[in-house]
Amino acid sequence: MTDERMFDHRPDPDLGAALRRALEPENQAGFVARVLARYDAALEASSVPTWEVLAAWSRRGIAVAAAAAVLAGFLLGRALRAPEAPATFDAAFAPTGGPGLAALVTAADPPDASVAFASLVEPR
Amino acid sequence: MAPDRQPPEGAARIGGVAEADLVAQTLSGDRAAFGVLVERYAAQARRVARAVLGDPDEADDAAQDGFLSALVKLAQFDARRPFGPWLMRIVANAATDRRRRRQVRRAEALDAGLVGGGPRPDADAVRSELADHLRAALAELPPRRRTAVVLFDVEGYSHAEIAGILGIPEGTVRSEVFHARRRLRALLADWKGA
Repeated sequence: MTDERMFDHRPDPDLGAALRRALEPENQAGFVARVLARYDAALEASSVPTWEVLAAWSRRGIAVAAAAAVLAGFLLGRALRAPEAPATFDAAFAPTGGPGLAALVTAADPPDASVAFASLVEPR
Repeated sequence: MAPDRQPPEGAARIGGVAEADLVAQTLSGDRAAFGVLVERYAAQARRVARAVLGDPDEADDAAQDGFLSALVKLAQFDARRPFGPWLMRIVANAATDRRRRRQVRRAEALDAGLVGGGPRPDADAVRSELADHLRAALAELPPRRRTAVVLFDVEGYSHAEIAGILGIPEGTVRSEVFHARRRLRALLADWKGA
């Protein structure tokens, strides 16, 4: 066997045939069937998630909508319970009870300390 | 100098026009067209995968991976070019990936699978002694070398096509085929002389 033959640019039929016999796979039909089964499985897998994704999204959407409704209800309820803000500056300083700010300012006698402090700490 | 292009005889080469049609039909979702492509290239893909991996069962898994991977990438295939080299590149890569993963999993105890083909009693019964010796000789070769010689001498691809399939320079392909042939032909000559 010469090196020239080794570098032959044509396939060697003897060696090729022997190698082919050595590597020849069996059950060709079974192999093709397995590939096509994987093809079918891949198709099925690619179509099923469409429904699953939609279902997952709908479940998530319902949960989010419920949470949003609860939050909205809570905020609305709190807003309805809160006292209304006074419409004018005078209304804000109007006395809610007692002699009132004007009476204290214009009185000749100094006010009792408890009354003065009461006007400061008394909630409006 | 002999032409580099290999003749199609005995090489399982498929005509370009029919292939392009089959590829187009497969792309449009025609399962039967994909089935025809698989049937035509199944033997070749399995042999190439086995040349890389040795073990026939693992080679079949790799060949299946290759077909499915080719299906996923089919839109990227240039239908003006032959389908075989494109598919064989994908199959060889799938087999090489498996081989790498196997090497990671265990320190390889050489390629015992190439010699006996693993525990398949039904298949082993009909295998010839020469085939066993050839598989053993193949197992001693580096994976790229045995893949190159199988692609060249069994499947009939040209050096340029094998260079494209294996992703190596054409000169390297020639060298790999040369060294593989030297080893395998010596074994074949011994066998015939015995």
